[in-house]
Amino acid sequence: MFALLEESGFTRVKSAVVPRFRFRQQSTQNSAEAFGVKAVMMTALKPAGS
Amino acid sequence: MKDSADAQASLEAVLKDEIIRMYQEVADDPAGEFHFFHGREAAELFGYEAEWLDRAPAGAVQSFAGVGNPHERADLKAGETVLDLGSGAGLDAIIASWGVGATGQVIGVDLNPSMCLKAQAHAAATGTNMECHEGRMEEIPVADESVDVVISNGVINLSFRKRRVAEEMYRVLRPGGRISITDIVSAKQLSQSIVNDPKLWAS
Repeated sequence: MFALLEESGFTRVKSAVVPRFRFRQQSTQNSAEAFGVKAVMMTALKPAGS
Repeated sequence: MKDSADAQASLEAVLKDEIIRMYQEVADDPAGEFHFFHGREAAELFGYEAEWLDRAPAGAVQSFAGVGNPHERADLKAGETVLDLGSGAGLDAIIASWGVGATGQVIGVDLNPSMCLKAQAHAAATGTNMECHEGRMEEIPVADESVDVVISNGVINLSFRKRRVAEEMYRVLRPGGRISITDIVSAKQLSQSIVNDPKLWAS
């Protein structure tokens, strides 16, 4: 997603993990972790001169 | 190539129905058990202010199914126009409306027309003027360069065409505009069995 935002023209793309995100069920959480699934916050700007 | 495009379109149509079904279920049965945290419990987990949750209509809070807090870095200012992509029952749109004030505007977009009606009713109950359009995030039903900020919470991951969603967000933003979104990402390529299963994908 980070790369897609940059490729779409956004600048100053930043991301940070949402630390408290987790799935309610442990089995789902385990599967998610196996796939590296996490929640992130992303911010980006559309350049002023665009 | 055409077969592949047809298969993709068919899968997307099934996925649309599954997404509508799942999030409608959260809205209709907020006390139900889901594999994700939802409602006030989830909002508190992600740092939503208690004052917001006390002030917002109970139905909007109970139906909340986000994965983070896009308001944390949205830095909304009075008079701005905000687009909430995947506005659901309206909690994030309502909170955003408090950020932009009476001179600002909040526009919701949701796949499910009944969720749009619900969000607008919740917004009206708080005296917020929110318009909501039924539509897809891959074809956002909003004019070019008409919004200052796009927020979204746990929705873009549901799209098969994320590049298109990114391009659409860029299109609707005014130059100098910004996005503040929270979403689910995966470090590994999901297996084809997950990609081809709308129930798993919608989860």
